[in-house]
Amino acid sequence: MRTIIICNLLLGIKEDMKFSSFSKISAALLVALSLTACVEDGDDGTSGVAGAEGIAGKSGVSTFVTRDDVITTNANIAYAAYADSLISATTLKTVLETFVADPSKVNFALAKQAWLDSREPYGQTEVYRFRQGPIDELKADGTLGKDDAGEGPEGLINAWPLGEAIIDYVEAVDGLSGPESPANAVGMGGIIAAKKDDGTFKYATIDATTLSNLFEHGEDGRNVTTGYHAIEFLLWGQDLNKEAAQSDSKVHDNTPGQRPFSDFNTSGACTSGLGNVMADEICTRRGQYLVTTAELLIKELTRVTEQWEPVSGAHYKTFVAGGDVSLAKILEGMGRLSFGELAGERINVALIENSQEDEHSCFSDNTHRDIFLNAKGVQNSFNAKYVRIDGEVIEGASIYDLLVVEGQHELANKLRGALEATMSAAAVIDTKAKTGTPFDVLMQEGIAQPNIKAVIDALVAQTDDIEAVIIALGVTTNDLRDDTEQTI
Amino acid sequence: MHKSAVVIFLSLFLLSSVLSGCGGSDAVETVTPTPPTPKEPVLDHSGLTPLNIDVIDKSEYLSGGEATTFVSNENAFSRKPAAIIGDFQLDGFFTQGDHLFRTPDDDIGPILSTGSCQGCHLNDGRGVVPGTPTTPMSSMLVKLANGKGEADPIYGDQIQPFSIHGFIDGNALSAGFSKHDGSVSGVQLYGEAFPFIVFETITGSYPDGSAYALRNPVYKVRDLSYGAFMEDIRFSARVAPQAFGVGLLDAIPQENLLALVDEEDSNSDGISGRASMVTNVFTGEKVIGRFAYKAQNPTVLQQVAGAYNGDMGVSTSIIASEPCLETQLACLLAAEQENKTGDEVDLGDHSLALVEFYNRVLAVPARRGYDKNSDIWTEEVTAGRKLFLQANCSGCHTPRHVTGDAKGSELGELSLGGLTANTDSQHAQSIAVLSNQTIYPYTDLLLHDMGGSCAVTRETTAGLSCSTGAECLYVQRCDGLADGLIQGDASGTEWKTPALWGLGLVQTVNKGASFLHDGRARTIEEAVLWHDGEAKNSKETFMNYSKAEREQLLAFLQSL
Repeated sequence: MRTIIICNLLLGIKEDMKFSSFSKISAALLVALSLTACVEDGDDGTSGVAGAEGIAGKSGVSTFVTRDDVITTNANIAYAAYADSLISATTLKTVLETFVADPSKVNFALAKQAWLDSREPYGQTEVYRFRQGPIDELKADGTLGKDDAGEGPEGLINAWPLGEAIIDYVEAVDGLSGPESPANAVGMGGIIAAKKDDGTFKYATIDATTLSNLFEHGEDGRNVTTGYHAIEFLLWGQDLNKEAAQSDSKVHDNTPGQRPFSDFNTSGACTSGLGNVMADEICTRRGQYLVTTAELLIKELTRVTEQWEPVSGAHYKTFVAGGDVSLAKILEGMGRLSFGELAGERINVALIENSQEDEHSCFSDNTHRDIFLNAKGVQNSFNAKYVRIDGEVIEGASIYDLLVVEGQHELANKLRGALEATMSAAAVIDTKAKTGTPFDVLMQEGIAQPNIKAVIDALVAQTDDIEAVIIALGVTTNDLRDDTEQTI
Repeated sequence: MHKSAVVIFLSLFLLSSVLSGCGGSDAVETVTPTPPTPKEPVLDHSGLTPLNIDVIDKSEYLSGGEATTFVSNENAFSRKPAAIIGDFQLDGFFTQGDHLFRTPDDDIGPILSTGSCQGCHLNDGRGVVPGTPTTPMSSMLVKLANGKGEADPIYGDQIQPFSIHGFIDGNALSAGFSKHDGSVSGVQLYGEAFPFIVFETITGSYPDGSAYALRNPVYKVRDLSYGAFMEDIRFSARVAPQAFGVGLLDAIPQENLLALVDEEDSNSDGISGRASMVTNVFTGEKVIGRFAYKAQNPTVLQQVAGAYNGDMGVSTSIIASEPCLETQLACLLAAEQENKTGDEVDLGDHSLALVEFYNRVLAVPARRGYDKNSDIWTEEVTAGRKLFLQANCSGCHTPRHVTGDAKGSELGELSLGGLTANTDSQHAQSIAVLSNQTIYPYTDLLLHDMGGSCAVTRETTAGLSCSTGAECLYVQRCDGLADGLIQGDASGTEWKTPALWGLGLVQTVNKGASFLHDGRARTIEEAVLWHDGEAKNSKETFMNYSKAEREQLLAFLQSL
């Protein structure tokens, strides 16, 4: 170890690097890494992209980009993306209120479009999951919970798959609309229509308290009563694959769920499914449910957004001051979303089970956007660039820049290329869906479907490169969990 | 040590080698430590120095070794170890396995106990006993056998109380209930039968005069859809146990467990554990059973496949049949209507391996009552531990084990794209986080005679004797813990020692959960009081402790 230090002193260390917060391993690694400069020097060495002719700054990247700069930009983008999600959810609520007040066909279409619009920024925030951030760990008291304790608002905002029978009526489709355990069912017709033996509604009032109390009713993860996908179900209904007039409902057709807008009619023509006439009060309650979930969505998104408020947000402050631990969090979110959540749970499981239930936005057939936007979020984190819903471009110090500054030109370029490959593969799925072949039709062909296989392969490749970056920057994600072995 | 840690070590090594070319000479000093003069301690079954009754081991708070989670809220049984989170690939396998564990397969049924793994392992924890006699058992089940341990020729070895009709969207669960003789004609499909439990109260008191009350279960079965059970039928009701930690138990070397066997009670402590020897379906070898209440299954994989088949009606490459017997025509007919029929199994190996992986690496909750910074345990936990060991509860609930090499799946090597089958030369990579761990599960995984006896009668609801008809129930009454059911090597009074880790969080994870195989014990204290047979001495020692001491011992159990 003495040798390393001597060598390092000879080389010098950038003065603006902060060593205080480094763990032993990352500090040692960083020291070791600085040394690679004498072997593989990007600035003015022999092996860098500029070769022996290279001069610091010539490769187009500011030599002044520091780890803290990258962390700060990442936090600023987090705020912008969550703020956009909050703004879109607020718009969604207004549009839903208009629709419930006047349940016309036009307003129904506007309501669905507002939901689709609200998913655009949110999908790009998901790279801020899986990294001990507010979305996963923000507790009711405003503090952040322990690593991976699952106490945050993510479930309330975006839980899936739904056992949608807890919300509303369901029809026989694939036997997957119930809770995990039948003991946790709330009764026929769900919260909206379930009745007691005396004929009164089991849940007298549809309000935030009722829906929140019934979230994961019975500790049952399929009893999802709130969030984007609850709203999605109330707008589209189950995807019954009836359009193609097939005998087998298991063969997916190219349309989403077909809930009729008469399901919200409160002036004498209320239905629960086409032709199934109900009392107006059922549609009134359904409308109340719709607006209430939008209100709850805003409430939870507000809590997360406030944590990320630049300068004043509690998490923003600790995150930007977090040094290498924060840098590790950025990369961990990128890697875990790429492999486990996106390639794994959201794409691979749907394929191997060939089940619409395992498709992320199964009611609306918007899964292609979920895939595209999740992948986009990872790319955003790498490039430190995010386009806001109003068109403003947020841009700053990127991991790409940092890698170049730290002499990792090749790796910088490799991951850039890998992310680009993923986005181009996701664009193919996106295009197919927009031109009549949604993800649930593509996935019927299974894991060999070339367009889907391309996305999975690209995500696997980019995850490998993200791992390489973690090693190259010397920020082991183990450090993230060392602080959890506290008093228990 | 997990993958990225290895990589970091390697890169450190490589980089420091590179350095020597960078400046100065290599000045790394090597110090060869002098090994301490070996004493000769008596070693335990794991080859370790036996636990000290007064001094708590440094690592005792890490119940699952590296596979420990520090979450102790309602999610405590659903967590992944840090080493899994830190490896993107393993994290991804866990996430997918979790999804499959929670989601019903497309081809559940035709008859079944539940739709998904999580349907019984509520929140990855224990199932619950129905609150009323008319509430169906949806997270516990009833096993069947005659006095020779043979399965019923019509109903098999387990009652599946529901038909698939109860699990179809828009139907109430009751649409799948059983109906007296309803499926005898071979056309209409119903659940097999409706088992339920009524409790009788037993009261007693400690030597110090404190009173207690226990719930003694009476098992009853009504509405048999396929006709009567065979002669000499016996019933065993079982609550789904908590699902975590099983990969560690799977990885304890068999010889370590066999070292605990004491069939003749040669040490005269009244405890004579014996191994349940069962067949590993992959190797064909007779090996020690570790899983299920009578240790019927040797591996997590076999246990998972058994649950898919028996509890959910999902066929796999390991158990390729549907849960219908040849005599159940209505069931066979319905099985032909599934998506995947004939030779095509319902759940493919890729999915099965993901569920197996998830189940194996589910983390064990860390102990509570301990402050890591000061390395101090609470006084009551420290005292309770001593009382636990003094009462020789550890005679069966062996506190500590070590794991060996936790081999990768018998099904093959997982990747996102699929599963690469094992070959003679290539076996799936071992699971590092489960291998070579020191763990504290508090079980010997052996069978012990817990005493008691059972009798089955036919009675009407009013308690009158009967022999046939829709109103004529099967009723099983038992004394003590016996269920009268022979399963493999296990007799009607023998049970496998269950692990105690996570015990204090059982009701945090699932408020309605209770203890022992059929959930009869509402509290841990009640569970202790039910012990008998080989555990009689220990139970009596507990009862003779002062009230304060009993509370300390229970505080210790709560901290597990």
